[in-house]
Amino acid sequence: MSLRVSRDLASLILQRAALAAVLVLVWWIAASRVPAFVLPGPQRVFTAMMSLIQSSTFLHDVGTTLYRVLAGFALGALVGTPLGIAVGSSRTLARLFEPVLAVLNTVSSAIWAVFAIIWFGISNGTTIFVVFMTAMPLILTSVWQGAKTVERQHVDLARSFRMSRTQILRKIYLPTILPAFFGGARLAFGFGWRVSLVAETLGSSDGIGYRLRQAADLVQTDQVFAWTVLLISLMLVIESGLLKPLERHLFRWKPH
Amino acid sequence: MTLALPTRPVSANPAHPHPALQLDGISHRFGSLEVLRDVRFDVAQGEIVALLGASGCGKSTLLNIISGLLAADHGSLQLDGVPAAHYTEWSRVAYMFQEDRLLPWRSVRDNVAFGLEATSASHADRVKRADAALGLVGLASFSASWPHELSGGMRSRVALARSLVVEPTLLLMDEPFSKLDPQTRSQMHDEVLRLQALTGATIVFVTHDVEEAVVLADRVVVLEPRPGRIRQIVPAQLPRPRVPTDRDVTEQTRQLRLQVVHA
Repeated sequence: MSLRVSRDLASLILQRAALAAVLVLVWWIAASRVPAFVLPGPQRVFTAMMSLIQSSTFLHDVGTTLYRVLAGFALGALVGTPLGIAVGSSRTLARLFEPVLAVLNTVSSAIWAVFAIIWFGISNGTTIFVVFMTAMPLILTSVWQGAKTVERQHVDLARSFRMSRTQILRKIYLPTILPAFFGGARLAFGFGWRVSLVAETLGSSDGIGYRLRQAADLVQTDQVFAWTVLLISLMLVIESGLLKPLERHLFRWKPH
Repeated sequence: MTLALPTRPVSANPAHPHPALQLDGISHRFGSLEVLRDVRFDVAQGEIVALLGASGCGKSTLLNIISGLLAADHGSLQLDGVPAAHYTEWSRVAYMFQEDRLLPWRSVRDNVAFGLEATSASHADRVKRADAALGLVGLASFSASWPHELSGGMRSRVALARSLVVEPTLLLMDEPFSKLDPQTRSQMHDEVLRLQALTGATIVFVTHDVEEAVVLADRVVVLEPRPGRIRQIVPAQLPRPRVPTDRDVTEQTRQLRLQVVHA
């Protein structure tokens, strides 16, 4: 059994490595036929990446962007979660807030970015606001859906043991909502990360988005590519090193 | 089958000179629907009483009133001689539902310990008592399992352990085993009787299953519907253990069924 699992895993890794090799090969062939400022080759991008990592502002830029994304995301969770619980457990509030949420979900992040520059100027606040406005409705909606799945029977069970409202919230509502929250938070973090770059290209003087625009303005296409590869790697590390294991641990009670 | 008389003490206990429960003139309405009318009966300390009736006779409502989760419109309810409004031992009144209602995100042990989380018991104490309750129902080795890994009968035992962990003086059960197959249900009946003998708890349970009432109860309160009221209170004095296939048990079941049907 475990032998088969490890053999499956080995063959999967082999297949993915082959896929990556083919992609790099196609990239390399395509890059050899066009000027480097249109499509730099793999080797050039690798060199650019190395010099980028060794540059003095690299850690500062990555750290700043991460900080802004996390701050916007945390604010979104802090506001979206209680609102979602409130709306999910009250029909009256749900009817009232449904159109508000629909509006929030349709406004593009670019529009929020423009507003943010007007309101916050070139500062951390601009990016944090845009991430917040993107993440908050997503988390709110997920928690709302999750709160609707809270079972009356479980609440009555807690009541039969004379638990207080706070205890019922903590011991019944929150665990029921957690899977939906986790799904929503994951989505919100992914979106927040992407829109943070848009916001940074418009309204900041440091961070990954700012560096991307700078590289594009100076036609340093190899640097743009280098940042892209770095961003993808960072997201993969967060996804497989943090989110996947966390999810496996939190929801280990679910039947497979 | 021996013909020994029941040895369970169903009598006045010096620690509790009062009946466990006294219901007097309990009436209740949901809007314009009259659910209960003038229900009155007493339950002695350590007695097992069945509330038997067809659906719509208000037996679950009556159980909710006894549990203190629902306030009756009229009438008085006393527990251990104390009016319900002034009763302080609610933490030792356990309620067992028709469904097992295990929380899927908690391990078996944490589900049992849930019963103690509204009390002041420390975490270590809760774990210790949860393990002891699981031992009582024979599931000590499953304390780390998840609910979805258990069979229906085992889940029902966990629910029973969750009720027992508070060391109830009064155990209320709302058709607790109606969703189990007949054989498992019969095992759960034996289990309840064994644990009742061990703890001396008073038990009031709701059922529409006449045989279940005859096998478990010392007395059967037969209710009739629309509005729910007492038709008759029947003592069940057959010797224990009562086996559903015994002639005496089937005869009493038959007689009692006639009464319920003619409601």
